[in-house]
Amino acid sequence: MAGIRLDRLTKVFGSTRAVGQVSLAIPDGEFVVFVGPSGCGKTTTLNMIAGLETPTSGDIYIGDARVTDWEPRDRNLGMVFQSLALFPHMTVFENIGFPLRIRRLPAEAVAARVQAVAATVRVGHLLGQRPATLSGGEAQRVALARTIVVEPAVFLMDEPLSSLDAKLRVDMRTEIKRLHATLKATFVYVTHDQAEAMTMADRIVVMHGGGIQQEGPPLTIYGNPANRFVAGFFGVPSMNFIDGELSGHAETPVFRAPGLTLGRDAPPQGDASRDPGTPPARRATLGIRPEHVRLSSAGWPAIVSLLEPMGDETLVFLDYGGPASLVAKSDAEIPLTVGDRCHFTFNQERLLFFDERTGERLRRW
Amino acid sequence: MRRRWALTLARHAALLAWAAVTLLPIYWMLITSFKHSGEWVTWPPRWFPHEPTLINYVKVLTPGTSTFELGRQTLKILKPLWDSLAVASASSLLAVALGSALAYSWVRFGTGGPRYPYNLLSIRMVPPIVIAVPFVVYYVTLRLLDTYTGLVLVYVATSLPYVIWMMLAFIEEVPVELERAARVMGASRFRVLRSVVLPLVTSGLVVTFLFVFILNWSELLLALALTNTEVTTLPITLNKFQSANEGRDYGPQAAIGTIATLPVVVLGFLIQKHLVKGFSFGMIRK
Repeated sequence: MAGIRLDRLTKVFGSTRAVGQVSLAIPDGEFVVFVGPSGCGKTTTLNMIAGLETPTSGDIYIGDARVTDWEPRDRNLGMVFQSLALFPHMTVFENIGFPLRIRRLPAEAVAARVQAVAATVRVGHLLGQRPATLSGGEAQRVALARTIVVEPAVFLMDEPLSSLDAKLRVDMRTEIKRLHATLKATFVYVTHDQAEAMTMADRIVVMHGGGIQQEGPPLTIYGNPANRFVAGFFGVPSMNFIDGELSGHAETPVFRAPGLTLGRDAPPQGDASRDPGTPPARRATLGIRPEHVRLSSAGWPAIVSLLEPMGDETLVFLDYGGPASLVAKSDAEIPLTVGDRCHFTFNQERLLFFDERTGERLRRW
Repeated sequence: MRRRWALTLARHAALLAWAAVTLLPIYWMLITSFKHSGEWVTWPPRWFPHEPTLINYVKVLTPGTSTFELGRQTLKILKPLWDSLAVASASSLLAVALGSALAYSWVRFGTGGPRYPYNLLSIRMVPPIVIAVPFVVYYVTLRLLDTYTGLVLVYVATSLPYVIWMMLAFIEEVPVELERAARVMGASRFRVLRSVVLPLVTSGLVVTFLFVFILNWSELLLALALTNTEVTTLPITLNKFQSANEGRDYGPQAAIGTIATLPVVVLGFLIQKHLVKGFSFGMIRK
């Protein structure tokens, strides 16, 4: 069918390397989300898959065919653009029928197909209108209809929801997900919104600086990030990071930072060499998600510096003596006010350590 | 409420006064073209001809070539009218076709490098007389002097910078994502141009055409330098009313002037819809 394979794909614009040596295999029917901050190379990668950009080096395979130098129109793709790219001079009907007319379908067949597709995305009543008169959600669905009307094997979507308001975006997210379940086609979806990536993807590809940082199922990316960038990119509010010194073993980590010492039987720093089994301390960053910081009766002391009620839960900012506040997620009804003293602990199984310099995840040290 | 009404009134009065100032010469030309010779110069001025006549039009529009009798020239403008129409239409169409293709290619592919449109503009930075003389020299060698081809070519060359600069603005208004969407949907490059780009820049093309048509329609200097008897345009014909005698032949002169104005006005009305759209949307640079 139509899986996609990228083989050491590279794109250089002038002196800037937008995408460097990206290799990736997307199985047929998978919903893959490329996510990363702007300028990370995700849209350039998508455009190369579409054929709108020519790779500087590397290859693209769709199905079994090497399509690197094929024209976009020969690749059997559907693409939804950030601006939706509805043709302003055509009616909704003509927009949806455009790809069919290019394929020289007879007028009756075009009309029948357009009406059928328009009905499935609920824009049947808008066929006579111009795109300028549509609401954001309607325009979005017309763009989808125009893409699915030719039943492509691969769907490419470049931040299609970014122009919608928050509520509509969540609705459309579900709608696109449902579409994927119905069509069973391969979806490649680009976004800078980590929530979109988490909720929609079968597999997330995190990009940064023109390269893939990590790929995997959403929960793996969230719970088991490969480096500090991935850890910090996902989650709202983002993960707490504390710079300090790490020693001990992976099972019994010992971590010292200003205002915080973690790990039982932490030997004084100078004594590390006495125990031959204990490696010397190294600079590292501790990462812990706000939901894994627990307010308790025992543990490290802290002062509540800020409370952010979210409705279903409350974010508690804790001053524990370190350079920055620590954020904890707690119950909405927590009986605390700013200035209160309290204690906190960490969920030990969820502690992550990163190399302070490279940001790589430390799994053993 | 009353103040706003007064303000509107004042504004309309001012605009009307200014319109009177600018339109008066045109009105004068129009009525003079319908006057008998006795009414051309009178005091007090006749604001409306007592006996409107078409004699001036008949005089200049009868077939035949201009004659010279009793020291007085009788100008026939059927041929100049035709020549002007042919040369201005052909050169403007050609310039718009070539120039918009060039503008598209520059906007989308950077053809010619980033400074190309500015370099082209330099053609218009020199006074036309500077290029007129070299053109004469070349045209003598190329046997293009006093030919339609010759005049059309030089008009295309001088119109191109205008066309390119106007079309740049219109083409930049077409989002590249529209073209990309069409290409992914299966359209060839030419199909993209035909079905997406052209319909979206139609107003721009029409406005640009009108603009260069007016320029070429009224161009005098180059025509004077490059043509003689085979090709003769309306501006050249009008220019002949300069000697002591013909200079006072106001009736036919006004008739020719009116005829020369007519095509531009008619064109303007025909494409009014595009004019409004073109001037309000295309010319706004981001």
